[in-house]
Amino acid sequence: MSKTILIGSPNSGKSLLFNKLTGLNQKVANFPGITVNISSGKSLANPAQVLMDFPGVYSLHAISGEETISVDAFYAGLKDPEVSCVVCVVDATRLEKGLIFALQVINACAEQKKPVVIAANMIDVLDGHGMSMDIDGLAGALKVPVVAISARSGVGLADLQALIANHRDTPSAFVSDIIATDDSVVHRQAQKLAANFGPKGDLLINSQTRLDRFFLHSWFGGVSFLFIMYLLFQSIFTWAAPAMDAVEAALQFAASVILPLLPSGAVSDFVADALFGGIGAFLVFVPQIFILTLVVGMLEDSGYLARAAVICHKPLRVFGLTGKSFIPMLSSVACAIPGIYAARTVDSPRKRWLTYLAIPLMPCSARLPVYSLLIAAFIPASAAFGGLVGWQGLAMVGIYLFGILCGLLVTAVVSRTNAALQTDLPFVLEMPPYRLPSWKPLLRNAWNRSKHFVTKAGKVIFMVTVVIWVLGYFPNQGASLGDSWLGYLGKMIEPLFAPFGLDWKYGVAILSSFLAREVFVGTLGTLFGIEGGEENIISLAEHIQNSGLPIGAGFALLVFFSIALQCVSTLAVLRRETGSWRLPAQLFVSYSIFAYAAAWLTFILVQSIAA
Amino acid sequence: MTLWDLKQGACATVDSFCSALQGEYRTRLSELGFHPGEQIACVLSPSLGAPKLYRVNNTVYSLDDSVASLIKVAC
Repeated sequence: MSKTILIGSPNSGKSLLFNKLTGLNQKVANFPGITVNISSGKSLANPAQVLMDFPGVYSLHAISGEETISVDAFYAGLKDPEVSCVVCVVDATRLEKGLIFALQVINACAEQKKPVVIAANMIDVLDGHGMSMDIDGLAGALKVPVVAISARSGVGLADLQALIANHRDTPSAFVSDIIATDDSVVHRQAQKLAANFGPKGDLLINSQTRLDRFFLHSWFGGVSFLFIMYLLFQSIFTWAAPAMDAVEAALQFAASVILPLLPSGAVSDFVADALFGGIGAFLVFVPQIFILTLVVGMLEDSGYLARAAVICHKPLRVFGLTGKSFIPMLSSVACAIPGIYAARTVDSPRKRWLTYLAIPLMPCSARLPVYSLLIAAFIPASAAFGGLVGWQGLAMVGIYLFGILCGLLVTAVVSRTNAALQTDLPFVLEMPPYRLPSWKPLLRNAWNRSKHFVTKAGKVIFMVTVVIWVLGYFPNQGASLGDSWLGYLGKMIEPLFAPFGLDWKYGVAILSSFLAREVFVGTLGTLFGIEGGEENIISLAEHIQNSGLPIGAGFALLVFFSIALQCVSTLAVLRRETGSWRLPAQLFVSYSIFAYAAAWLTFILVQSIAA
Repeated sequence: MTLWDLKQGACATVDSFCSALQGEYRTRLSELGFHPGEQIACVLSPSLGAPKLYRVNNTVYSLDDSVASLIKVAC
């Protein structure tokens, strides 16, 4: 087996190239530093060839812990006898910057006698603007093969694969004589090479600057940022609603067909309560996860997120964070796990640590089913402000903003009370070019996220609903939920949740949701299913409305779920990223206490207003 | 004069780095193109103290005052 290393600067299109060559689905985005782990996969053209995608680094002179890990792994890879070739990906539209890094790579490869190929990516963007570069001239000057490619359109990939195969079959000695170790010499060489062989003109920058003047304008920039964020949250409700209705109708239709075919008794009750009531209640929210991931992906791919980081830098500094914290925080709106990984792009360890504190409070997609359910149960579906927006959409924006505000308040307080967290590292962020999003990878990513949501959370939800159903159905065959084993256990914990106006059923659902937040919906669906009987398949929101839950309890639940850290996966990933259980344990305990106190206060406040 | 003082649309040449800037960040800024002798253009200078956009070669970077005020430039 022979291996090929793919290396390049952040946002050079390396991961998209890796996906094209291997057929895998590594996450790509138009933002520097999205790849955080070394991925490997077999080449589609030759399965005996393994490609390794290294995280993008600006230089082989590492300045952060993560860069050191990547650079050390690269040097270790060069010493691996199975590595037959190194492909250095450079962005042809920003050739000089790419060449500074490529010259460092050529130097490192020469020391280890490893062949290197330069892949000049994004050649389609140059073509689209009527620009070109002198590939043969650059190859002649560097004395290493240079191939023009477009990882996006697939242009030149066959040539690149042929070069990789050639190095595998007949590893050639390194012949480049353009090797310098002095940084200023490397810089001058790159400058000269880019001037001689790179694209001429600055059309790309001019068009980028025109858009930046709008999106980063002092007023238009702020207004457009708020408008884009508002659209993001409003779309979760309005765009997903028809798909959610369709899933719900399909489940009701399936229940009406399947249930009469089953013999009455425990089996029929199980299918009605645990499968249609529990699992079904959670499946309804999958379209929202899909649309949320799609919209966040569109923003990433368009290049807008880097501008949003610039807009947010100054306000986030007030809360002890940096503009770079915005990307992990926004990623956490889809899921905290990619958000925690994305926090590696925050180069200051102190700011990254503060970002970790904020991430679990970002309104993740696992909270979405709970929010949607409670909003549907307590907020009217009518339009507000002359039909411009819906009250439910506004409520969703409100609860999302509440979570974000809590996260910012926590980082503001902690950064001010801990002197070690008040120093800062310089803020330097590359502005990626604006691009039209590629729909195929975006749709695939949204599909994979939804699938992951169903398969990963679905397993937990299935197990919990089965346990909940068994405990709630026996020993009296569902005749009285209050007299079941679960009813007995639930009443024991009821005093814990009574201050929020919640009965034991909600208490059981909250406790089960500490495995994963979505379990709350499945557990509640199962409990109401057992209580309502099989003839009463109505939506869970209607069940909650009919249960007479006070409005203060509904708001208290929303507040509780927006703060509590009920996600085992988040705790495990935080442990992996920080190297100890200290931070996850501290966050779990402190956010549980914070959530409980805030929910209690909310209940008292809302009930007194309602009265 | 520092890079942070550069007005929108103006160009200047990088002169040197202030001593307050750590060595490793000087190297990184040089690798990104902020190299003594290199010409830099300020392409966008938003108000309210937001980070400014600087063009070096064919790349645009956003720098805030904490770093741009440590790069000395000459017009």
